[in-house]
This record gives sequence, C-alpha cells and structure tokens, in this order.
Amino acid sequence: MSDSHTQDVGAHHGHTELGFIRKYIFSEDHKIIGIQFLFSGLIFLFLGGALALGVRIQLAWPNKDIPVLSNLFPHSWGHKMAPEFYTMLFSMHATVMIFFVIIPWLTGAFGNFLIPLMIGARDMAFPKLNMLSYWFMWPAFIILLASFFVDGGAAGAGWTSYPLLASINLAAPNSGMGQVLWLTSLLFVGISSMMGSVNYITTIINLRATGMTLNRMPLSVWAMFITAILQAMALPVLTVALILQLLDKTINTTFFLPPGGAPFGNWHTGPGGGQPLLWQHLFWFYSHPAVYIMILPAMGMVSDIIATFCRKPLFGYKPMVYSMVGIAGLGFIVWGHHMFQSGMDPRLGTGFMLATIMIALPSAVKTFNWLGTTWGANIQYTTAMLNALAFVSMFVIGGLSGIFMAATPVDVYFHDTYFIVAHIHYVLFMSSIFGIFAAIYFWFPKMFGRLMSERLGKIHFVLTFVFANCTFFPMHIIGIGGHPRRYADPTLYKFLEPLQGLNVFMTVCAILLGLTQLIFVVNFFLSLVWGKKADRNPWHSNSLEWSAPSPPPHGNFETEPVVYRGPYEYGHPDHNEDYLPQFDPSTVGRGTPVHAH
Amino acid sequence: MQKVWAVLFGVVLALCFGLFVAAYFIPGWWLPHLANEGNWGKDVDNLFYFILWATTFFFVLTEVILVYAMFKFAGEPGRKASYTHGNHKLEIAWTIVPAAILLVIAFSQVQAWEKIKYQSRAPLPDQIIEVSARQFEWRMRYPTVKTRDDLVSNWKGDPTKANKLADRWGYDYLADFDDLHIGNEVHTWKGAQTRIYLKTRDVLHSFFLPNMRLKQDAVPGKTIPVWFQPTEANGEFKDGKWVYDKDEGGKEKVWELACAELCGWGHYKMQGHLYVHKDKASYEAWLQHALEKQNVRTREKK
Repeated sequence: MSDSHTQDVGAHHGHTELGFIRKYIFSEDHKIIGIQFLFSGLIFLFLGGALALGVRIQLAWPNKDIPVLSNLFPHSWGHKMAPEFYTMLFSMHATVMIFFVIIPWLTGAFGNFLIPLMIGARDMAFPKLNMLSYWFMWPAFIILLASFFVDGGAAGAGWTSYPLLASINLAAPNSGMGQVLWLTSLLFVGISSMMGSVNYITTIINLRATGMTLNRMPLSVWAMFITAILQAMALPVLTVALILQLLDKTINTTFFLPPGGAPFGNWHTGPGGGQPLLWQHLFWFYSHPAVYIMILPAMGMVSDIIATFCRKPLFGYKPMVYSMVGIAGLGFIVWGHHMFQSGMDPRLGTGFMLATIMIALPSAVKTFNWLGTTWGANIQYTTAMLNALAFVSMFVIGGLSGIFMAATPVDVYFHDTYFIVAHIHYVLFMSSIFGIFAAIYFWFPKMFGRLMSERLGKIHFVLTFVFANCTFFPMHIIGIGGHPRRYADPTLYKFLEPLQGLNVFMTVCAILLGLTQLIFVVNFFLSLVWGKKADRNPWHSNSLEWSAPSPPPHGNFETEPVVYRGPYEYGHPDHNEDYLPQFDPSTVGRGTPVHAH
Repeated sequence: MQKVWAVLFGVVLALCFGLFVAAYFIPGWWLPHLANEGNWGKDVDNLFYFILWATTFFFVLTEVILVYAMFKFAGEPGRKASYTHGNHKLEIAWTIVPAAILLVIAFSQVQAWEKIKYQSRAPLPDQIIEVSARQFEWRMRYPTVKTRDDLVSNWKGDPTKANKLADRWGYDYLADFDDLHIGNEVHTWKGAQTRIYLKTRDVLHSFFLPNMRLKQDAVPGKTIPVWFQPTEANGEFKDGKWVYDKDEGGKEKVWELACAELCGWGHYKMQGHLYVHKDKASYEAWLQHALEKQNVRTREKK
C-alpha cells in the first residue's frame, strides 16, 4: 500500500497532507482502517490455521510417535500431545477464527472499506471512533497472544466457555489465568465491534450521496447495515456474560455456580446461588446472531460479485433484501437450538425448533435468487467469481446440513458430534472464507491500485476448493457414525474404530489445504508490489466505488457522486456497453436523482 | 475453455455426493446399530432419513442447476446476458414450496421430541438408575431388587405414587444403604423401561448412548430424568461373567457410553459400557453378584 496515496487530494477537500503515523498507523481514513483490519486478520488466519492443524494431527495419530513433531512436545508429556494442550488447541482455533479473523474481516475490513465508497460518502460518520475501533483490537490481540504463555496455557474450555469448566479455576489446568485473559480479550473485541457497528449504522443512514436511496444500495451495503444492527443489539448481552464470568473467576461471585457448589478434588467451591445454564442463554443470545454476522456480509458481497461477473442484473433485489432482514430477525429467536440437550425445558425446545426450521426459508430464497442470477448470464470466470460461486455451492451444503440439527429428535443423536463440526465449517470456512477470498480478489485493485495475479489466484482457488471439501466433507460421515467432537483420542472407542481412516485422510487434506494458503499469501504480497496497475473500474462494475481512483484518495471522490439508478444495470438492452454504472449520467435506465436525506 | 469450471464444480460435488452414498454401504461408516428400534429410536432414525431425502432432493436440484448454468452460460465475448431483474411468480413459488416442506419437517418431529424428552410423557420405569458424572467417570447407583419392587414394581396400579417414590430415590438419595454403587456400567434388560436420574458432581457432562440415540447434558445443581427402552439385548450374565452376543458379522455387540459435552482434559476418557441383559433374570443375577462383591469388600475393610 506504499503507493496508495500519491494523488494530491488535499486541494480538493481542504485536507492537509498528513504525516506517516497519522496517515497509516493512527489513521482516521476508513480505507486505511479497513486495510489494517485486513492485515491483522491475515496474520491471525495463519495462527488459527496452525492451531487447527494441531487439532487434526492429534485426531489422526493420537498418542503416536510422529517424526519431528513428537520431539517438540516436552519430556514431561512423554513427547506426546497432552490432552489439556489439545483442548486449548481447538478452543483457541475457534476463538481466533471467529473473533479475530472472520468478524474483523467481514465487518472491520470490508465494512470499513466498502460502506463509504459504495454509498458515495467521503468517510465514516465518526472517523475518530473508527480509528478507536481498530486500536481497541490491539489490547485484545496482545492479551490473547499473551494468554498462550501464562501458567496452564491459553483457555481450553471451548470457544463457548461453558461454566463450570470455564468459570471454576480448578476445573481444568487452563481454566485459570488463560480463561481470565480469554474473557478480557473478548471484552476488547466486543468494544471494538460496538464502535464499528454504531459508526456503520450512522454512516449508512446519514451519509448517502444524492440519489442513493435505500433501494439503490448495493447488497453489500444492505448486508453490512443489517449486520451492524445485529451486532449493536446482541453485543451488550455478550459483554454482560463475559463480565459475569470474569467476576465469578476473580472475586468469587456465583452467577453461574449452582446452590450447593461443586467439589474439585479435595477442594470445594463453597455454595453458590446461580445457574450454569444462564451462561449458555446469554452466550448464545449473542453467538447465534454472531453466526449471521459471520455470513450476511459475505452474502452481500458475493451477490455483488456474482451480478458483476454474470453481466446480468441481480435476480430479485427486493427478495434478497427481505430475506436478509428475515434471517436477522429470526436470528434473534433461535439461540435455544444450541441448547436442545442442555437440560433446558424441552417445551422451549419445540418453540426454538420451529423458528430454527423456518430460518432455512430466507436462506433458500437467497440461494434460488443467486441461481436465478446465473441463468441466462454471460459468466466471466475470474478468480473472484469462482470463489463467489464456490460460496453459493458450499452454502447449499452448509444450509441443508443445519436442518438435521434443527430437528430436535435428530439433534438428540447429532448434538456435539462431528456432524455439527462439518456444518459449522461448511458455513464458516466453505461459505464465509470463500466469500472473503472472492471479496479480496474483487476489491484488491480498489484497495491497492493493482490487480492480483489471476493465474496464481486460479491455482489457489482450485486447490482450496478440492482440499477444503476433502477436509470438511468426511466430517459429515464420521458425525453420522457418532464421532463426538472435542475428543483428544477417539481410538479408545470401539464404535469409532471404522472411522479412524477418515480422520487420517482429513488430516492429510487439512495439511495440504494449509499449504495451499501460502499461494494466496505469495499472490497477495507480490501483487501488492508488482501487480498489474488497475484502472478505476477493472471489472466494469456498477457501484460507486468504481468511480473513484484506484486506490481512492483521502476523501474518496474528486466530486461528490450523484446516483442515477440501481447498482445492477448489467446488459441493459438500450445501452451499448454491458454495464451501466450508478454514477453514469446517461439517460438510459435512469430515474430522477432523488435526495437521500 | 471457460466451461471447464463447470466440470470442476460438477466433479467435486459429485464426489461429495458419492461419498455420502458409499458411506451407507461401508460397515461402520453410518449410524451405529439401533438397539431401541421398538421404541422411539426408530422415530429418530425415520426422521433422519426423511430429512436426508428432503435435503438430498434440494441439494441435487440446486447444485445441478448451478453447474448446468455455469456450463451453459459460460462467457463468450460479444454476447449480452438476458436482461431481467427477477420474476415475481418464481419468487412466490420458491418461497411457498420450501416453506411448506419446512413446515412438514417441523411438525413431523414434535411428537417424537415429546416422547423422548417431555417429563410429563416419561413412561413408568421398570428399571431405575442414578448416574452421577464427575471428571472423568460415570458413577452409577442401582437399587436392590427389593428396593426397586418397593418403590416401583409394587405400585404399578398407582403410577402417580410409583413415579413419586422413584423420583425420591433418584433425586433425594432415599434408600441409600443397600444400593449398588459401580462405575461406568449401565445395566438393564431387554424390554425394560429404563429411567436414569442424571446428575453431575462438578462440571457439565453429557450422557450419550449412540445405540439408543440418547443424549442428555448433566447440569450442575440439577437432576434430569432421561429414559429409554432397549428392545434388543447385547449379551447375558452367565456363570459369574458377562458374555456378549455376536452380530451378523461375528463381532461382539459392544455398546458404549460416551461423554458428549466438553468436561476438561479427560473428556475423551469418560467411556462406559451399556449392558442390555437378555432378560430380567440375567440382570438380577448380575446385580446379586455385584452386590456380593461390593459388600464383601466393605466387610473386609473393617
């Protein structure tokens, strides 16, 4: 991004030229903040990936001698992976991927970068708050990384951190300082997300350019808008839960400790007066909407990318918006489906089941509209498009597999088996991450003024698509076989014996999947420096960000853009070109510019 | 050349589909043997297959359309895509049809769920066991034959009373003196309505019997009754020893108990076994044997 601010924009908007630190480090420019989120997410992606490989290696060869690797484990563990280390691996893998990669990438990186550019604003409504929202991630980064080195290691009670395992310091070797730091770190992430979401909501409501009515907003913006509202409403509940558990752990309150307490070895907690299930309700009241926070922005961006490369208007713009609103609304009343077997009153389960089954409907509507968009299209197979199509095809699998667990009686069997692990990875890896890859390939030229290599991009795509399916699809099978999740050694069980071969296969593919991502990194950094220079609109796309220079200067647009039409006017019969941007003043397909406010 | 991408998607998706089909035929890659087929275990499996067919239909439908569209409409220079913003009738159709199917799926499961979990639907037990989980084992408590008869069997004519007494035994440790205490072994007999009083002494655990399609979390501070009825035995107690039956493949019918809720570093070690005796006599022979062993040891200590 060294050359990202060569244009002299100061003259246009009265900005004075800023020093390096104000411009790139403590920047108030939404684009730089977005790119900062992008880079830190990339670093954590590799940390999270490495943790996942640790999990996979243990599952394939539990307690076996593994060349080289075994010697890395200390003598006191018998040169094998200790089971508490294994619980730490999967807990931190999920924590890192969810709270430090996917959410910061989707909302922090792309929300920040895209929202002002796509609605024709010069920046966010509150640039200082925006800067703070990134810098509040840093205490989270530092605390999280530090937690790996404290006594007992980083948190190992799962990313869900259910009490009492998480809330009682003596319940596990890593439920002491590691868990305290985990809670503290997530508090900072929450504050950061909250600042972001307040900013996004305000910006989208107030700063749209002339003519950018709500119904002319690209789906990316709609998705970010809905996501921000979700975050703003759900996050306070998570914050409360985190603080309550922190109090339980530090000053011995008993919010989650039941009357009577519990013994751990020779030590007894003393009587409590709380409820362990309370945590699960509070946690999932945030974390289920969080699942949609992790998929809606990807859905929005993928919709824009698919329309662009189909050279065809998006099929069913309004149903697409309504279905996102539907997902978000229903998303608040389905959290109990994580708790069907938790001991919650089973009559509540029936209600949550109905809501959960019905949330499949808006997802189905979205899928059919994506298919409708490809029908009769003139598909350009760019790397971005391939990743977007992978999103659609994989989201179908992830969506359908969810129905099994939504069905309460079937969930009795499938709950906490590898089937749910398969499901979550089809939604979060195969959908969200493919969506993110698509978005990176697509907006990279706008971010950095250079194109990523299509050749490397396609190699990366093919290998990722193949290896990811090889890694995650067999998880459905071992889930049907009853393989419980979070087991350090499945080979103890007779009924899991036939499935062990699949475990080995998945691990080998996971390692290859990890190595494949190095191609992406090489492509990313080489293109940053040597990529082909991009003009303003390399994909011949319609939305407003393509009217700005690549990369856009501080203040984004040379003149305030005016919007004449919706964002999906591709292949208009009365127009020579097969695209007709929102900012094109030609009279074809043009409504009168309406003032947004 | 562009069409090759459709082929890639088609091949990968077909392989995924193929693996699912193959798994059904490969021994050990599908649902474990169902041992309460005569009870709600069958409902769970039937519902699973119903959803499997419904989702397979939509999987094939959407993926075939996607791959076909990717093939058919691969880009050619100079061609313009068809210009349409949507189709109102199609939108209504593909909202209403899946909605109807989803509603069928939703309502077809309510009854099974009630049967499995609603406490008001709990059948009167023939066998009662208290299971208390802790890091990292299951501790079982069985009533003697006499206690069980006093509490439940002799009150069959008055189910309210029988339930009340059984619950007092399960919740409140009534009749604690001559009960059998044993670790990690669930014993019951074929056809017995078995009720478990599930507790935990420390953190969350989850009582998972794959062959019974049964799972329930154990929650600190709570006693949760769960029930199942094995309609098939996996062995008998003969000459002071447990002897497994063999399945069609000549393998012993080992049925396991697992913990399904993360409970700490030893989560994977919470293994137990389910012994479904061929009849009540075999179970009672085992109970007698186990009680003798327990009580001898108690006496020796003095």
